Amino acid sequence: MIKFSNVSFIHPGGTKALENINVEFKPGDVTVIVGANGAGKTTLIRHINGLLKPTQGNVTVFGINTKKASVAQLSRRVGVVFQNPNHQLFSDTTEHEIEFALRNFGLSDEIILKRTKWALEFFDLADYAQTSPMMLSGGEKKRLCLAAVLAWEPDVLVLDEPTVGQDLIHKEKLEQIIRLLLTEKKTVIIVSHDIEFIWPIQPRIIVMTGGDIIADRKAADIFEDGNIISKARLVKPQLVEFGKELKIQPQKPFSNINAAKKWVLSRVK
Amino acid sequence: MTKIIKIEDYSFSYIGASKPAIFNIDLSIEQGEIVIIAGASGCGKTTLLRSFNGLIPHMYSGVYSGNVYIDNMRVSETPIIEIAKKVGYVFQNPENQIFMFSVEKDIAFGLENNGFPRDEIRERVDEAMDILKISNLAYKAPHELSDGQKQRVAIAGVLAMKPKILILDEPTSLLDPLSATELIKVVKNLQSVLGITVLIVEHRLDLLSSVADRVVVMNKGKVILDGPTRQVLSNNEALKAGIGIPSIIRLQLALQSSGLNFDETAITPEELSRKINLI
Amino acid sequence: MYWAANAFIFRRQDSFIHRLDPRVKLLFSIELFSLALISSNITHIIIALIAIFSIGMMASILKRMARTLVFSASFSILIFIINYFVGYTIIESLVLAIRFIAIVGSSSLFFLSTSPDELEHVLKWFKLPQDLVFAFVTAVRFVPVLMMDALQIMDAQKSRGLELDRGNFLIRIRKLAPILIPLVVEAVVRSGELAEAMESRAYGAVKRPSSLYGLKLGLSDKGLIVISLTLFLLALIYFFGYIFPNIGFIV
Repeated sequence: MIKFSNVSFIHPGGTKALENINVEFKPGDVTVIVGANGAGKTTLIRHINGLLKPTQGNVTVFGINTKKASVAQLSRRVGVVFQNPNHQLFSDTTEHEIEFALRNFGLSDEIILKRTKWALEFFDLADYAQTSPMMLSGGEKKRLCLAAVLAWEPDVLVLDEPTVGQDLIHKEKLEQIIRLLLTEKKTVIIVSHDIEFIWPIQPRIIVMTGGDIIADRKAADIFEDGNIISKARLVKPQLVEFGKELKIQPQKPFSNINAAKKWVLSRVK
Repeated sequence: MTKIIKIEDYSFSYIGASKPAIFNIDLSIEQGEIVIIAGASGCGKTTLLRSFNGLIPHMYSGVYSGNVYIDNMRVSETPIIEIAKKVGYVFQNPENQIFMFSVEKDIAFGLENNGFPRDEIRERVDEAMDILKISNLAYKAPHELSDGQKQRVAIAGVLAMKPKILILDEPTSLLDPLSATELIKVVKNLQSVLGITVLIVEHRLDLLSSVADRVVVMNKGKVILDGPTRQVLSNNEALKAGIGIPSIIRLQLALQSSGLNFDETAITPEELSRKINLI
Repeated sequence: MYWAANAFIFRRQDSFIHRLDPRVKLLFSIELFSLALISSNITHIIIALIAIFSIGMMASILKRMARTLVFSASFSILIFIINYFVGYTIIESLVLAIRFIAIVGSSSLFFLSTSPDELEHVLKWFKLPQDLVFAFVTAVRFVPVLMMDALQIMDAQKSRGLELDRGNFLIRIRKLAPILIPLVVEAVVRSGELAEAMESRAYGAVKRPSSLYGLKLGLSDKGLIVISLTLFLLALIYFFGYIFPNIGFIV
């Protein structure tokens, strides 16, 4: 359980990045944070694992106040995958790259072996186990970063723009992973612009502008509100747009292709 | 219609590579087309783009066979400096293309390098800023710009050279959907008003599919599909190659496989809903 | 990290000083730098320091300069302590310590009020080769970018359990690998992309590139050159007059 209570954050330079934020993230929930660049999204997620501490207010993660814990301690339970894989990869082999965090957290050799093997296989990187991470393609590097984080089985997974540069196959895999984590009652928080990707997951959406949260609703409700959509710099998902243009409108927007297909076929018959 | 890009049986391997990055490429592009080049990461898209403006073979050496002609110039025999007058390449990361500390100075970069007289530089810079709607940012420094703005500055810098061909490498990857839509409108404008041929590499096809004339799909170094947008995006091979087919097209394909027939592939939600409404 | 970033990095501002021709700003910095070095008299050094701060105030960059100087103050104190213990008097050690601050301050004046673009013009005016000028200016342009990279890399690795502030000296050095390797890789990748962009925008097409703007000395520029050179000469005479009392004519 992650709780932000009256959190404000001012950069050392003087700019205010977060303004009185109050929000909770519960296990088993997936939340997507949207908003224009500079709205405060990345500042917010950096508060979750303690990289940033609030200048006012408090952030508690599973009961621990982030001001009283180190980033390493919090990271054991909160895994953050950043946007740029080049900012993380440094090991001589993919295998060692995955082991890095596991060693930092003091896990036993046995567990490290097991988890590394799992991560490599689950993310289709087993063939590259002894390859240098620098030799992987952009998409593969991103996968490796995700693998390295999930290897230590955090309770919370935070993803910063996970689908940039990824092809369809891996976006689908990512969707699967998110759904799996939710069934395991993990908390998933995603910062993303990719509406087509997030829409089928039907997440809770938090809209930020200028350091403020201006909306906090279910995806379907967000895309009903034209005002919020433009403030969040979003466009409607194609399936939602499609539903709106139909002569006979569906009761609720189509959450995925199958739902849309079934509805259309039933109406046509 | 002139073929502004003509590629004949072209293959290229980087130095030290065990196999070619791209091979047996045959491709022709007419002047004024907007072409999407799509494919999974590692399929050779970037190699192909580099072949268009001479980075291959002049900056990246390797084993080069076949021919690449840009506006009837043979790329392998023309220095990059010459090709740069016809081909403008906007790279993926705008940060690494902005050299100067003010927007207008950066847009002037290419013109200064070519020794244009000052008043002509001034004119072209102002024009480019006007087209990209960034005139109000003229004196701003790169760190004061949002990613979307940096993107526009990079495009303006290339546009000031008045190229015939514009290459955009993942122009919307850093942008929010609204900014991406705005950028795509600008690109469409460049084509319709200035007649520029535009080649775009993109993963997010839902926004682009309505403006692109043609889609070229690559997989493992080869061109596997090449044709009008509607045709290619509704082809199963495209789906198998892992490119981001827009959901509305996938919906139509799903409906078709369940027996519903459509005369033409819809590429926007409005189009598909119209067809459904008629049934 | 933010401190170091603030020290020498130009941020766009509007002030009388900022608007001056960069050659004039360079002249100011060199004059003040020289004054700081020339004399070992405590009054003289303090005069130089006051001059530096006054110009800093006129340029409204005093706050940013102050931040750098607080940072270099610790180094300055070190200079004081070492010299005092080696045998110099308090005053002499103080002079050396303050001189360091004056040196940093005078250079900081130039870099904080001059954009890399202006710097490019100055270097070209000195007839330095194009490639050298471009390399230097690009480096200045990208230093803040690399610093941001470093910060982001540290964040990413801290989030993987890396604790940079624990362990003895040797262990801490080893812990730098996850920071330095990505930083170097990113820097190399950036330079590669920069090279591609440079080529694609016809860098080197013409031996002497033209320019959107040129350097032109305005009335205030010319006036200030005269005034500052006069003051500088007067200061030199005053300082030297003090050091060589038999030559000095004013004091």
